[in-house]
Amino acid sequence: MEESYSLEITIISCEGLRINRKKPVKRNTFVTVQTDSQNFNTTKLDMTGGSYPAWNEKLDVQMPMHVHFLNIDVQCKVSASTDRFIGRARIPVSDFTGPYFPENYLHILSYRLRDDNMERNGIINFSIRIKASGARRRITPMAASKVSNYGMVTGVPVWNS
Amino acid sequence: MGNCCSDGPGGQSAVGGTSAAHRNQTGGPNDAVDCFLKSRGYRGLFSQIELSLSASNLRDRDVLSKSDPMAVIYAKGKDGALQELGRTEVVLNSLNPQWITKHNITYYFEVVQMLVFRLYDVDTPFHDLEVKMIKLDEQQILGEATCALSEIITKSNRSLTIDLKRIEDSTRPSQPGKFGQLTICAEECVSSKISTELVLRCLDLEYKDLFARNDPFLTISKYLESGITSPICKTEVLKNDQSPAWKPVFLNIQQVGSKDTPLIIECFNFNSNGKHDLIGKVEKSLADLEKLHSMGSGVHLYSPTPVGNNYENKVLKSQLFVDTFSESVQYTFLDYLAGRCELNFMVAIDFTASNGNPRLPDSLHYIDPTGRPNAYQKAILDVGEVLQFYDSDKKFPAWGFGARPIDGPVSHCFNLNGSSTYCEVEGIRGIMMAYTSALYNVSLAGPTLFGPVISEASLIASQSLGNKQQKYYVLLIITDGVITDLQETKDALVKASDLPLSILIVGVGGADYKEMEILDADKGERLESTTGRVASRDIVQFVPFRDVENGEVSIVQSLLAELPSQFLTYMRTRDIHPAS
Repeated sequence: MEESYSLEITIISCEGLRINRKKPVKRNTFVTVQTDSQNFNTTKLDMTGGSYPAWNEKLDVQMPMHVHFLNIDVQCKVSASTDRFIGRARIPVSDFTGPYFPENYLHILSYRLRDDNMERNGIINFSIRIKASGARRRITPMAASKVSNYGMVTGVPVWNS
Repeated sequence: MGNCCSDGPGGQSAVGGTSAAHRNQTGGPNDAVDCFLKSRGYRGLFSQIELSLSASNLRDRDVLSKSDPMAVIYAKGKDGALQELGRTEVVLNSLNPQWITKHNITYYFEVVQMLVFRLYDVDTPFHDLEVKMIKLDEQQILGEATCALSEIITKSNRSLTIDLKRIEDSTRPSQPGKFGQLTICAEECVSSKISTELVLRCLDLEYKDLFARNDPFLTISKYLESGITSPICKTEVLKNDQSPAWKPVFLNIQQVGSKDTPLIIECFNFNSNGKHDLIGKVEKSLADLEKLHSMGSGVHLYSPTPVGNNYENKVLKSQLFVDTFSESVQYTFLDYLAGRCELNFMVAIDFTASNGNPRLPDSLHYIDPTGRPNAYQKAILDVGEVLQFYDSDKKFPAWGFGARPIDGPVSHCFNLNGSSTYCEVEGIRGIMMAYTSALYNVSLAGPTLFGPVISEASLIASQSLGNKQQKYYVLLIITDGVITDLQETKDALVKASDLPLSILIVGVGGADYKEMEILDADKGERLESTTGRVASRDIVQFVPFRDVENGEVSIVQSLLAELPSQFLTYMRTRDIHPAS
């Protein structure tokens, strides 16, 4: 079996969800988190929040080592067999890994959701924690290289003082 | 979070006691300001006041239904400029609204604090927005009222009713009463850290709709000193339910008064025309509700029915149950500091050429031979004095940005003290000395980039996470406000929003601060990075220094206006408690 580490994701809420860029979403919204075709997990339906649904629901999902993105999809149940796609956020692993984050650090993150046409459609709020495991040590080097790409290089001027 | 309407066509959402509001509940008195002022001997010269608003006989601006009013509160400065303090929720279809959202305000006895209230009719397409996102110039104004805070406080019942007027610039005199009246009630805030979570449920509600079932919701109100009732929270509307169970409601003792204060709990049937029918009510204090919960028994609702000229309470078969009653402590900013959470300040100073040639007297960086401090020195001294009060070790990492050291390329983050290895300086005096010596050693250049100093501060904040010692950082950026790469700055801020870091931008000089207002997310949309990540909380506060130059009290007030709530949002969302 392929190596992986586990993520504990709490889907908190969404804001300003619309259908076809116009109508606010009414009810029956749910969220799926997916790392690859085998690893995904889904929340219950939100019945009362309308276009501002809230779940506060914990989802565990396995993250294979080679995967660099986590996909979060928001959908809305229209009938027993039909789900309507509302929007997706693609979260780079480097946003919640890094050389300085301690084990179990609770990241509180928000992302813009985009619909099928890549149009902006609301925001998703969630928290994410990497569950402590032996695998942790191996995540860091990969992430570390990412961080140094992003990070600025501090140019410290040398002058006579 | 949540949308703005107290009862919308789509969002029949809860107001005032939701878990989101509870987690980010920072509406209480600002204890950081209290603490600083008390340390300077201002004890007893100020107090924290909570305002609640209601209106009557408003003008009807909607054709098919009634107005949907929202109130906006402004402070009026000496120069007549209005500064927005807050907005209420939108009440649908009502000419006599009673708003739930309260506003806290610090009352200084020696200052005349003029308040302006504007009432707007919010159009239906905007009902789905958060209130702070509503553009006011797109709404119809229902009227305006002005008064001094002291006028409300000095009334015996602490409640003032004033006639609404047309907005000032209109020349036509308006008849009194034509625009309706606004009532403002003031109450002194009670400091309490106890918050109660309630899950309420009703059984066997009586039918109010002839052909349909009830769409029930609860409101919880308290009595003000004057005897009038004022709503404190409202649950969401549940569709078609005779035995509804609502989402948890969070009540802070601060909102309620005390555990023994009688609360009026009313159950209504939702009606989209704004006339909700009262199904029944009870009057119970939190202590009573706790008893009901522990005994597991319900209480019968009653409904006031007219008998002759009086009302008699008819007991209904409908019952109210308390499924959950749990109390928790809401720690304050000072609790964390007392629990040895370290607050650390960092300073970054703008050395870009837009500040003007430091050798010329009109430059913001001009070192006056007479010793008169320039705009930056004044800001370092005044702002530093307030901030260092909260810093435990008084050692400040200090950087400059946007300048070219002798013979070097432009640096967007250099150590102010000239060292290549360490960035810290000792105390305010250390910042002042490093600042002056840096002025002689670098030449002002550009462009103005905040990204590098924010990233450097983020790095220090993230490195601290591994330590057991709880730390929180505040980066103070002093700038003339002209910024070159707004998007790069936003990217850095979005990343920093997940770290124990706040950024306080102090603007000196007379530049246009529009970009700074964008970064201070509380006035508009949340910051979004190029990759689609969104700031998970507001971490920026912008303070134009020219606005606070008069008087110590107002400096403290503006500098510390947001820091405690930004700090608490970080701690509470992560469930971090102060060390005991």
